[in-house]
Amino acid sequence: MEALFAGLGALYLAKCDAAKSGQAFQAFLPAGSLVRAAERLLKGGYFIEDICAVDCLEGYVVVYHFDHFETPGRLTLRVLVPHDAPTVPSIANLFQGAEWHERETRDFHGVLFEGNPNFIPLLIDPEMADCFPLRKGEKARAKAKDMLEAGEVIFVSPAFTLMTPDAPAEVKESGGDQPATA
Amino acid sequence: MNAIPAELLRIIIGLVAIAVSVGLIGLVMVWVERKVAGHIQRRPGPYEVGPNGLIQPLCDALKLVGKQLFMPKGADPILFWLAPVLAFLPVLLLFLPLPVGDGLQTLDVNLGLLLILAFSGLAVLSVLLAGWASNNKYGLLGAARGVAQAVAYEIPLLLSVLAVSFVAGSLDLAHVVKLQGTWPWNWNIMTQPLAFLIYIVSALGETNRAPFDLPEAESELTAGFHTEYSGMGFGMFFLAEYANMVVVCSVATALFLGGWHGPVLPGPVWFVLKVSALMLLMVFVRWTYPRVRFDQLLVINWKWLLPLAVANLLLTAFFVKLAQFA
Amino acid sequence: MTSYQNTDHLAGDFYTQNFAKTAGEGNLILNLGPQHPSTHGVLRVVVELDGEYIMRAEPVLGYLHRMHEKMAEVKTAAQFIPNMGRVDYGHALGWNWAFVGAAEKLGGIEVPERAEYIRVITCELNRIASHLLWWGAYLLDLGAFTPIMYAFDDREKVLDILQIPTGSRLTYSYYRIGGVAQDLNADCIRRIQEFIPWFRSRLPMYKDLVSDNIILRKRIEGIGAIEQDTCRRYGATGPVARGSGIDYDVRRAQPYSVYPKLDFVVPTSELKDARGRYDVRMIEMEQSLRIIEQALDLMPEGEVLVKGAPKPSWKVPAGETYFAVEGARGKIGAYVVSDGGKNIYRTKLRAPGFCNLSLFAEVSQGTILADAVAILGSLDLIIPEIDR
Repeated sequence: MEALFAGLGALYLAKCDAAKSGQAFQAFLPAGSLVRAAERLLKGGYFIEDICAVDCLEGYVVVYHFDHFETPGRLTLRVLVPHDAPTVPSIANLFQGAEWHERETRDFHGVLFEGNPNFIPLLIDPEMADCFPLRKGEKARAKAKDMLEAGEVIFVSPAFTLMTPDAPAEVKESGGDQPATA
Repeated sequence: MNAIPAELLRIIIGLVAIAVSVGLIGLVMVWVERKVAGHIQRRPGPYEVGPNGLIQPLCDALKLVGKQLFMPKGADPILFWLAPVLAFLPVLLLFLPLPVGDGLQTLDVNLGLLLILAFSGLAVLSVLLAGWASNNKYGLLGAARGVAQAVAYEIPLLLSVLAVSFVAGSLDLAHVVKLQGTWPWNWNIMTQPLAFLIYIVSALGETNRAPFDLPEAESELTAGFHTEYSGMGFGMFFLAEYANMVVVCSVATALFLGGWHGPVLPGPVWFVLKVSALMLLMVFVRWTYPRVRFDQLLVINWKWLLPLAVANLLLTAFFVKLAQFA
Repeated sequence: MTSYQNTDHLAGDFYTQNFAKTAGEGNLILNLGPQHPSTHGVLRVVVELDGEYIMRAEPVLGYLHRMHEKMAEVKTAAQFIPNMGRVDYGHALGWNWAFVGAAEKLGGIEVPERAEYIRVITCELNRIASHLLWWGAYLLDLGAFTPIMYAFDDREKVLDILQIPTGSRLTYSYYRIGGVAQDLNADCIRRIQEFIPWFRSRLPMYKDLVSDNIILRKRIEGIGAIEQDTCRRYGATGPVARGSGIDYDVRRAQPYSVYPKLDFVVPTSELKDARGRYDVRMIEMEQSLRIIEQALDLMPEGEVLVKGAPKPSWKVPAGETYFAVEGARGKIGAYVVSDGGKNIYRTKLRAPGFCNLSLFAEVSQGTILADAVAILGSLDLIIPEIDR
């Protein structure tokens, strides 16, 4: 798994408890390496399950779920984008099915996917496509670390504190917070 | 005052009788079709209105007549309303040369078959007009398909009919029927079985009946060339389809099944029985098989029916000539 | 001038105009739907036709969009279960299961064994009903008017059986977080035991009269070939993927509930075309019968709802989970993120039909319009689950 993400500048890589959260591995990537990661996944025979976004306090976490037909095990890629500039490169040129998932994420959250070949509203009527129903207000947002599974950290970039538990008393999930060497 | 010639009087009376019969047959066929469809599909069919649903067709007819006649925006008014009329009226003419009993035909003409085949071509025109004048893309697609299909299936129809008239030596339907005997082994179906099969398949194609009902494919083109018609416009197309069915079945009966020949019962009764049997066959086929795709439909015609019909015709001509020498 | 010179009404709406921007010269742009007898639900496909050939196709969604994911954010977990019955009315229990399973994982709730078996039995019965509906409707699209009547006759029996424990005929909300709402009573079990041999006797008739019919075979063989690579790029699962030879079934790949104890075959087909998908679904119905038989035998006595099952006001503990089940159409996924508050923070519903339909644009290029209908039917689409 580390080989899959080598050289991509992954911010966070963790092995997760598949029985509890349904995912085998998760990785936070910077927006710039998303397309390259998707290329590797396509070559590795993964299929795209879905793309969605979760509106957290720190920004939108765009979640990509991939799975494999022959060797099942869900792989989650995440990209954190700020609320005021939610732009992510599109992987629709590699995984054509992503085109619709990205359009839907734009309809619900307003996340923009650069390079999507047909970036028009999918589910919401074009006349009111800017209502972004799943955006939460300031008060309703929660921290990402309080919800997303931390897992057993394999690697975390020193500057990446999104998933770092606050203080020992508040640690909810399994897994340590010591940065391991890549 | 000049006396009305007997011939003309005969035709007028005949036409009136035909018009009434066609109307009645339409009503009866609607009921039969829905009942048979129901029972094939394990349900009773209409049975609320009247005993066993017998009045259902009448109610349907009244409903259709009572509906508002409107035309889609942008449709050509003249052609739009001409199409159903053109579908229905020529059918009445097709019944003229049919011998219902011994000597019982409205028009005693020695080119009866030619008359029928010529006028049945007008149906194609009505399909085209309906689709074109509707100003509707679905209608246009349906019309294009309908025309291609009708034109294609006329040829094997013609050739199979020709084979029979070769044997009989005449295009006069009454003559062809007279030459056949009372019992099934004397009928033309014994001498021309292949022609009969080709004729039945081509008849299904000509009348747009399933499995060749693509021009009105409900599930693909909404309703094909008659998408935009409602009320009596649709009613006319509907009636015309059943009337066409009766015509082709009647011609098949006359050519292949011995017409009005039959033991014991009078001629017209046998004629009606045989025509009903063929119509029932068509109804059964409709509710049993899926629809043939359009290009497959044409392939059946051009690659199978046509060569077979030509071969049959050549063989028939050969044997007729041989018999002449003997 | 005469009124038919005015062509404003022919310009089309936003989607048609957007599609028409890149249309070829002289090609016809046609809308299949949204009101159309063979798009199953309210689906609209804008096609560019060159004669009868499809140059391009673009499905337009949203006619049935009810924003279930927003509803999840204003409801508690228990209140959201009825929504799951409405997402896909064909296989409502599958969606019930996906969501309830996700909530149970987050809450660490273990379901009693009897309830697991009941879930398996009812879910498989629902799968049979869904496949019957697909089969009848597919043949109706292809112009055979009779099989749907037979299919609905069979389906009536299944619906009557499922009505006894669930109370509904179509949009079930029968599963609860921690089990199921009610036990299967003796009457219900007896009916299931009668249904199995009766339905088994119907399947050979369908095979002889319908599946082996030459006209049907000509309509679906060689149509709509989907390569395995296409399935990967679009995320197609279920009979669409299995019809292309991919042996992937969530019940085997990521087993849940008591499926590991049950012996059944996951059918695949090497044909890749609509015929392959058709065959896969017909065999699946037979296999579902097998599963139900075994489950009835193995089902233990016991509770059907875990003691201390969550009340309607139960708050889902914080965390995230993704739970997938094998639905009639493919892999149903519920991705639930919770912050421990009263309502669920985010629910993402992964509909198999969404991914299956997205490959239609690529697969239908160059096909005849009549074949497009055959391909759409072979994908087994239920639009409410695609739109949610």
